Amino acid sequence: MKNVSRFISLVFISFLIAACGTQVKRVDVEETIDLSGAWNDTDSRLVSEEMITDMLERPWYSTHSKRHKSSPAVIVGTVINKSHEHINLNTFIADIERAMINSGKIEFVASSQERQEIRDERKDQDLHATEASRKAMGQELGADYMLKGSINTIIDMEGKTQVRYYQVDLTLISLKDNRKVWLGQKKIKKVVKNSKMRF
Amino acid sequence: MMYLQGRYKVVLAPGKLLLGVMLLLLAGCASYSQSQHTIQQSLINQNPAQALELLDKKKNNGSDQFLYHTDRAMLLRMLGKYAESNAEIEIAKKLVEEFSATSITEQGAAFLINDATRTYTGTPVEQIMLHVYAALNYLELGQPDSARVEILQVDTRLRGFMQDDPDSPLSFDPFARYLSGIIYEDMGEWSDAMIAYRKSYKAYQAHQDLYSIGIPAQLKSSLILMAHKIGLSDEQKKYEQAFNLKILDLLNARKNQSELVFMFHNGLAPVKREHAAQIFSPVAGRLIRIAVPGYYRRDNSISRVRINIQNQNEKTNQYLYSATSEVTEDISSLAIKTLESYMPAITARALARAVAKYKMAKDAGDKNPMAGLLVNLVGFVTERADTRSWLSLPAEIQTARLPLPPGNYRLIIELLGYNNHVVSQQTVENVQVKKSQKHYLSFHWTASSLNHGLAGRH
Repeated sequence: MKNVSRFISLVFISFLIAACGTQVKRVDVEETIDLSGAWNDTDSRLVSEEMITDMLERPWYSTHSKRHKSSPAVIVGTVINKSHEHINLNTFIADIERAMINSGKIEFVASSQERQEIRDERKDQDLHATEASRKAMGQELGADYMLKGSINTIIDMEGKTQVRYYQVDLTLISLKDNRKVWLGQKKIKKVVKNSKMRF
Repeated sequence: MMYLQGRYKVVLAPGKLLLGVMLLLLAGCASYSQSQHTIQQSLINQNPAQALELLDKKKNNGSDQFLYHTDRAMLLRMLGKYAESNAEIEIAKKLVEEFSATSITEQGAAFLINDATRTYTGTPVEQIMLHVYAALNYLELGQPDSARVEILQVDTRLRGFMQDDPDSPLSFDPFARYLSGIIYEDMGEWSDAMIAYRKSYKAYQAHQDLYSIGIPAQLKSSLILMAHKIGLSDEQKKYEQAFNLKILDLLNARKNQSELVFMFHNGLAPVKREHAAQIFSPVAGRLIRIAVPGYYRRDNSISRVRINIQNQNEKTNQYLYSATSEVTEDISSLAIKTLESYMPAITARALARAVAKYKMAKDAGDKNPMAGLLVNLVGFVTERADTRSWLSLPAEIQTARLPLPPGNYRLIIELLGYNNHVVSQQTVENVQVKKSQKHYLSFHWTASSLNHGLAGRH
């Protein structure tokens, strides 16, 4: 009798386990969800927002505005991934661009790839568009500064515990004279504990 | 006399019969390495496309899925599909993270049934090779940044092995370090390259004592050149003396040159077979079986390759440059040495399992002889060795580094046998070497035959 009840509870438990199929729950994009401890969307968003806010508060900005009586024009150059992870740099760069444009304080120039596509379109307009709507060539806005950067990591570990330290460095370089006008740095530290046991 | 005979009949005949029936049953359920036979045969016939087709038919979601993905990664790579190969490697890496924690249920099953019931997450060598091949895939895709990510991951993994077992030379891998040095050098990170070359040198020295691998001449050159580049003159002199090489000769051979890094993936990694002892204990009337794995090398007839280079538009047999490959990673020996180091634990587990199975059969038999027999049979049939391994790995990786001016080249690859005669020749056209960049090229040769002598007991 005891065995029978044991058997029934076993069957019951296996049914419970089998019920754990795919589940979907919608969450807010702002919500922080840490799964594996790897670089994620929250890191990308927070780092870009904080760094660009810092960048716009620094003296180079007012110096430029005073001297040129206009907002600086910035272009995003290369961001190098020197970390332990295959980080999707496209989303990080998109986050930086969004933070800069939405600040309203910066003129923003399209990247070299995007520029080429637009030039092709202008060339096409030259042939096919009406004179009134045609956009002339040679009217592009040249950037004053280029933003470059890198993502580095240092991993320290002991047994199943890892400390992941991310350091994002961004540098704003004047295109006129190669002067570095702003250096930004943002650090993130995470402790990841992997379980020694599983079911 | 008749009485005695009769008694023997009673005891022995069912025993023999039982043993016979059980051996038949055993033959019915193949071990992992046997189940992969057809796929391996296609590889031996140098037909990775067919091997991939056969592998896909076998799609595996169980405890062997690591091997499904690693095999797939290797076959896709052989077919030149580097990005797809890396997607498979990423899946395999996730499996390692997910399943490396000890499972309570699987440990229980391993104790009661056999070791092959555990989820396979690769040996240390196989886990390192995951990153090495991911890095090579990225390099061949022209993405050195991503290859750099892989070598950082390899570093983390090697540090983990080092913490687990600091005294074992198997905790550091010479080739992974050497490849790291090449990649850092390619990225212009000289001091990191120097550190990697030094670690590689140290690792080759330690591995030299374990099996027959030498310190590659190309590493010796790299150590001297890199020490010279970052101005470590004492260290440079130390290496010059130790290797009997001169910095000027090395520099002259590399003036304003780019480099072709050639990787030759030779043969196939050894295969595990089951070694079992089965006895019938007439006293207890029970069958006892103990099964453990053992490695067998898969030999092939190619010892090295000679790479001859000519300008793409050259019509004659004139060669611009020739170089012979060197063994930089002996995967076979590493795998065999690793298994040797695990053997005491594997054997102890097998023995403990035999005792446990015997005890279970005895307990069941005390209540009901038929049940005892049944438990004994199940215990006997389920005693299988864990013969799982990444079978599409090569037996060894050989490397050649060829300094070349930028240009468009034709490569004539001569596969050399053990007596230095040319066994086969392959041509690769239109290899573009760009200014001050490294160009990476891999060549796989999978023809091999099983050596029937047990490896590691020579």
